[in-house]
Amino acid sequence: MSDLAIPTVQAKVKSERSSIGSLHMVQTASILVIALVIVSPLFMLLIASLKDDRFQILADMGSFRAFWVSSPTLSNFAEIGNLSGELAFGRYLVNSLIILASTVGAGLIVNSMAGFVLAWGSLRGRALILSLVIALYVIPQESIIMPLVIMVSRAGMTDTFAVQIVPWIASPLYIFLFYQFFAQLPKELFEAAEIDGASVFRIYRSIFLPLSLPALATVSILMGIESWNQYLWPILVTQTDYARPIAVAIATFFGQDSIYWDRAMAASVLMMIPILALYLAFQRWFVSSFVGSAVKG
Amino acid sequence: MGKRLLSFLMASAALGGIAEAKTVIHVMHQGDPGWVATYGEIAKRFEAANPDVDVELIYAPHDAYNEKFSAAVMSKQLPDVMELDAPFLANYVWSGYLQPIKPLVDKDVIDDMTESNIAQGTYPIDKDLYAVGLTDSSVVLYGNKKYLEAIGARIPKSVDEAWTREEFEGYLEKLSKLEGVKWPIDTFRGYGIKTEWITYAYGPILQSAGCDLIDRKTWKSVGTLDSDPCVEALTMMQKWVTNGWVVPQSSGTNQFFAEGQPAALALGGHWFYAEAAASMKDDIVVMPLPKFGPKGASPNGTWIWGITTASEHPDIAGKFVSFMLKDKLYRDYAREDSAYPGLKSFAADSPLYAAGGPMAVAFEQASKTAIARPPHPAYPAITSAFMGAVDEIFNGGDAKAALSKAAEKIDEDIEENDGYPPFDEQQ
Repeated sequence: MSDLAIPTVQAKVKSERSSIGSLHMVQTASILVIALVIVSPLFMLLIASLKDDRFQILADMGSFRAFWVSSPTLSNFAEIGNLSGELAFGRYLVNSLIILASTVGAGLIVNSMAGFVLAWGSLRGRALILSLVIALYVIPQESIIMPLVIMVSRAGMTDTFAVQIVPWIASPLYIFLFYQFFAQLPKELFEAAEIDGASVFRIYRSIFLPLSLPALATVSILMGIESWNQYLWPILVTQTDYARPIAVAIATFFGQDSIYWDRAMAASVLMMIPILALYLAFQRWFVSSFVGSAVKG
Repeated sequence: MGKRLLSFLMASAALGGIAEAKTVIHVMHQGDPGWVATYGEIAKRFEAANPDVDVELIYAPHDAYNEKFSAAVMSKQLPDVMELDAPFLANYVWSGYLQPIKPLVDKDVIDDMTESNIAQGTYPIDKDLYAVGLTDSSVVLYGNKKYLEAIGARIPKSVDEAWTREEFEGYLEKLSKLEGVKWPIDTFRGYGIKTEWITYAYGPILQSAGCDLIDRKTWKSVGTLDSDPCVEALTMMQKWVTNGWVVPQSSGTNQFFAEGQPAALALGGHWFYAEAAASMKDDIVVMPLPKFGPKGASPNGTWIWGITTASEHPDIAGKFVSFMLKDKLYRDYAREDSAYPGLKSFAADSPLYAAGGPMAVAFEQASKTAIARPPHPAYPAITSAFMGAVDEIFNGGDAKAALSKAAEKIDEDIEENDGYPPFDEQQ
């Protein structure tokens, strides 16, 4: 009986191991395929940015030559990487960074304060205000964009940095995210500080804000991506290259008759670098921010 | 010290006064970085020649120009001078955004316009000119010389020698069997269904076949767009697609000159020549669009310049437009960009389009077969409905049903707008 049983068990274990091994192989292969699908366009973008002939880039598209460059050159980057003149993409990149940093910086302060007051403040009608904030979130940005254009143009704000920053500082989503985070912190923290005589602002600044690093990181990342990817709004409110962000500037390469693939690719690589660096630096927060915003938002 | 300060303040005030006395005109435009830089230079030169004028350029990317224009309309910030896509002219004039340009622009510029250029800038109600451009556009049939020679195709050298429908379809069939040819023709489905390409390039096939997108006298689409010649023309194009003769949308817009040159013919815009010739050199032949019926037809229209009704200085705006259209830098850059001439003097100075030039046949089309897209305020609805119908037909839909639906949609839009008076009175 035992003589017969041992080979059977061994065979079963072997078979299970082999099926686990096969599963791992399938999983690895699937991950590789998915990674390839995601990475290959980025790789193609990088390769194309190193070719200096826009017609060649177009001719190479659709074949494996799109992933190969025989004589790489940085000439596209040299052409567009100026701070002034015809192709001042260095300037546009700086403009985008200024807009991003200002929007995120001011957004963290304003939204966290609003979230804190809604969670712990003694404001009357907090529940109603919170409901209104949540209700505002369902209104798509596009539906208010034209009235907003009229407002900012009457205020004489067009073609400025401010017009690309101010309207996007306060956001119902981020107020709600902060509210949720602050509301989950123990009541005792607030009460103890209150007994010690701390003002509401002091409690916010010295106790709750330092504890809210995960929320700050989440909002920074989400706001940063949103600001970086703004396209329609800056088109409507910028007129010259003074405050033009890089996303709008890249669109100049897509003309009525021809597309300047060489420079467009190099400019896209330039645009990708800061957001890629941000992603690599805050990879852990990045993943949790999406999970968090999906669950909470 | 006090006196010096007072003098400084007085001088500053005087300078401020001069600065305030300057007339500012706003010019809204689109274009790639080369064009943006060119307009910038022209503005500087105009300012140097007219020290009392400041030109402020307002830029919008080509693909988002309509959104930017809508925002300018809503915020009551229309510029003095604006670049506009020719088929939208009727809509803008009807909406009251543009003013007649003839009295504002130099007479020699007006006299220099080609017939096609005049057609693209004319409003059909008052027959007045509302916009003028240095350039125009057209679509021709590009051919791969070695493939055409291999099937023994006749190569037309002028518009009068254009292929007939029978010849054209016969060549498509022969090319489909020729080794090395994957697709007999690229009709640039790769430009997608949301661009103006479908109406611009395929509309003339209907007109050549003997019908149109809309009846240009009654301004009714039912009975015209869904008439037998139109249904037959679209069924013919559907057959090319189902036969596998046409480069699919997913294969992009470079199959005519990509490695191996898998497409033998290309029904492409004048701008395609530069892209294709760069790769194919002498292997490319440029032919007129085939005659699909009783007459030849080709498209026209491009981005042209108009002066808005909101302009407080229309005379200076007109002076700027005249200055720009005659400017050497503007013409040099347009020539480098293979721009299709809209002014006779510019054509004479463009070797690509001059007699004997590789694109001469394209320019010949401007005077012989060019038909402007329907100059009607309902044009946005017309082009949208037609694009939808073509997409449905190319994806296997019934041509008659799709065109009838599109025609009804166009007529509905016109009815909803009470016939866009006074267009309704033309009937």
